[in-house]
Amino acid sequence: MWSYTLRRVLLTLPTLLIVVTICYLLLHATPGGPFDGERKVSAEVLANLQAKYHLGEPLWKQYLFYLDGLMHGDLGASFRYADWSVNDLVLRALPVSLTIGGVSMLLAIVIGVALGVAAALYRNSIADYALMLVSNAGNVFPSFVLGPVLILVFAILLKWLPAGGWNDFQLRYMALPVALLVMINVATVGRVTRASLIEVLNTNYIRTARAKGLPMRTVVLRHALKPTLIPVVSVIGPLAISSITAAVVTESVFSLPGIGKLIVNGAANRDYTLVLGLVVLVTVVAVVLNLLVDLAYAWLDPKIRY
Amino acid sequence: MTFFAVPHVSIRRTKLAAAATLLALSALHATAAIVPTGVTLAAKQELVRNNGSEVETLDPALVESVVAANVSRDLFESLTATDPDGKVVPGVAEKWEQKDATTWIFHLRKNARWSNGDPVTANDFVYGCQRFVDPKTASSYASVFGPFVQNGADIVAGKKPASALGVRAIDANTIEVRTDGLVPFLPELMSNPNFGPVHRATVEKFGKDWTKPGNLVSNGAFQLKDWQVNSKLVLTKNANYWDKKNVQLTQVTYLPVEDENTDVKLFQSGENDMTYQLPTGTYAKYSQQFPKDIRNSLILGTRYYSFNNRDPLLKDVRVRKALSMVIDRDLLAQRVTADGQTPLYGLLPKGVSGADVSNYEWSAWPMAKRVEEAKKLLEQAGVKPGTKLRFAMNTSDYNKKMAIFVASEWKTKLGLTMDIESMEFKVLLKKRHEGDYQIARNGWVADYNDATTFLTLVQCKSEQNDNFNCNPKADALIKNAAGTADLAKRAQLQTEAAKLVMDDYPMLPLLQYGLPRLVKSYVGGYSLKNPMDHYGSKDLYIVKH
Repeated sequence: MWSYTLRRVLLTLPTLLIVVTICYLLLHATPGGPFDGERKVSAEVLANLQAKYHLGEPLWKQYLFYLDGLMHGDLGASFRYADWSVNDLVLRALPVSLTIGGVSMLLAIVIGVALGVAAALYRNSIADYALMLVSNAGNVFPSFVLGPVLILVFAILLKWLPAGGWNDFQLRYMALPVALLVMINVATVGRVTRASLIEVLNTNYIRTARAKGLPMRTVVLRHALKPTLIPVVSVIGPLAISSITAAVVTESVFSLPGIGKLIVNGAANRDYTLVLGLVVLVTVVAVVLNLLVDLAYAWLDPKIRY
Repeated sequence: MTFFAVPHVSIRRTKLAAAATLLALSALHATAAIVPTGVTLAAKQELVRNNGSEVETLDPALVESVVAANVSRDLFESLTATDPDGKVVPGVAEKWEQKDATTWIFHLRKNARWSNGDPVTANDFVYGCQRFVDPKTASSYASVFGPFVQNGADIVAGKKPASALGVRAIDANTIEVRTDGLVPFLPELMSNPNFGPVHRATVEKFGKDWTKPGNLVSNGAFQLKDWQVNSKLVLTKNANYWDKKNVQLTQVTYLPVEDENTDVKLFQSGENDMTYQLPTGTYAKYSQQFPKDIRNSLILGTRYYSFNNRDPLLKDVRVRKALSMVIDRDLLAQRVTADGQTPLYGLLPKGVSGADVSNYEWSAWPMAKRVEEAKKLLEQAGVKPGTKLRFAMNTSDYNKKMAIFVASEWKTKLGLTMDIESMEFKVLLKKRHEGDYQIARNGWVADYNDATTFLTLVQCKSEQNDNFNCNPKADALIKNAAGTADLAKRAQLQTEAAKLVMDDYPMLPLLQYGLPRLVKSYVGGYSLKNPMDHYGSKDLYIVKH
């Protein structure tokens, strides 16, 4: 397994290079540059700016310059946020995104699996329909509708929680964005768990376990749950990545200083280095999460060996 | 969000001739918050204000956007400043005089201090100004403001060293500023953060990190306490500020909330005392819901559509005139945007200095007559009903609303159809700057309160002229005005130039900007006569509530 893990980690490097190269070319091919504004900058100032950020060089030279920095762990200077390096910006935004994304994912898994198990055990009953209806609500309503509704109820009407913002990982500020992401993800986890458990409960070894007279609780927890989780784990990878990186709406609705906002603003401002830095980061996170998912398969199903 | 050009406030044109003397006499007036008698202040003087987006920098030399200028004016005080009504008042300079047409002398107050206790000297200003125009700094605004000062343009272009700039220290408390040509609005120009002082030892000690919390040394009413990108920027009262007794707020928190709906929700839940802007189409609703909190003031900004004067169809002035005549700006302002903006029938917005505002004569005609005349013009130009127009805009609800209205006006009144092409802001800018459009959304907020900032939009070969029009006679008048010391004559020439060039219909003026926002009724010192939208935190205070 160790050699498999090492191989996967090494394979990350060419993946990263391909992603960075494509992204680099796409960014430079997009119309409009980082210094285009409502007020057009003069040719002299543009030359000064290009010299400052090495944008006057041929594209291939700029690319090699960027790769050199990247290999030394330097993601370059941000064009938009003149006082900050991309490293600074990423290091400040990442903990916010990881915390919100991580906590919400964990809760979504726990709640989603519990709901899915309950729904499967009482399938086609009113309890099943009610549980699936509630959990699907989070999936059906878009986050830009659910988010403001949460704010309206808990921040404006009840005044229990802040309407937005971020204050040094204080739980009060995390509650609503985490709740929103949990509501969005719980349905997927719940649905997959339900379908998977129903299938597992129909297998021969479960029938045998029940025939032996084991109580349902033991059957589910000891024998059925582990194989049930294999398809659940498959969806957790992409869900976790999207919770961290694609939380643009959540970050906008709750005004959170995470990386989703940086990516969108970076792309709109043609902040090449910032976008590339974040793409590198997202690629690494995606690779690591996928690796963890693959390793989790082996733990859940001893038949799988690497 | 759109980043406007950095606006500036000016002194009135008619008073300019005597400005130096008057201002010198009024030099001892405090510039900070004047609390009216009878007003009881709250015990907690802390304000939270949304700034609309994250600032691009706290380095005064690099400040470019309105949002960065807002924070910069709180942190750094320039030679002059502006009061809540937008008038120029003394800043670090307690008085100034104009020695000759192009030489100004500023006398610094001796009690001005940096936040670390060091005295603010003339050399701090010389260093700040030279740093601003130095090509190594690569400030975007160096080519906008730099050329007003002697040798500024050559320094930005790398032809002369920064030390050649026409700003020099006569002694520790006296500065001489020489201008290239006549700049009657120089005292106002000097209120700009770009021309502010910089604490050299701090820059040299910390390099690029000099603007970070814990490092930044400022001379304004506030100092930097905390800066978390995309989260908040916290300033506290500067205990070494020379006029600290008139600064009421002890802490100011700037939020960078871009989403206008989130901004309003933070306001409603009490976590924000001032919104930046209102969401599109909500002005009437919030005026009713928060009658005590809604504040709206017109600023020196214009919304207009650029006509590409090189376009085969639009190169005929009759077509451009016809298109302009039939748009009912009153209806647009009252029913479509409905947020307190006012109709615009010329190049210049109301309240601008340096020229009189003139409207098209037909703006007073009944609409039926305007339509009739427009139809005639189109017929003469050979444009038939059904002709297609192409319109480019950056994606936003506001722009869409306006474009649909304009398209419907042209369709119903002239029978012309308009294809609306919506695109990303940077793509629109590129198309506009390169002339790759037929009609395009455009807008301008004054860089400083003088008509010249708007005249750059229509001058031949001006970098800011996206219409590609040229009227040599108007250009000659503007050039004459620039060399005229008599301010009344200068204004007359500029008025004439604006009228002459607008008779060519290079663009389609639509509305003058208003900035409606929600400000808690307990926030005092918020003026509604602030044409440049400069709301320095030193002028604000919290009333007991």
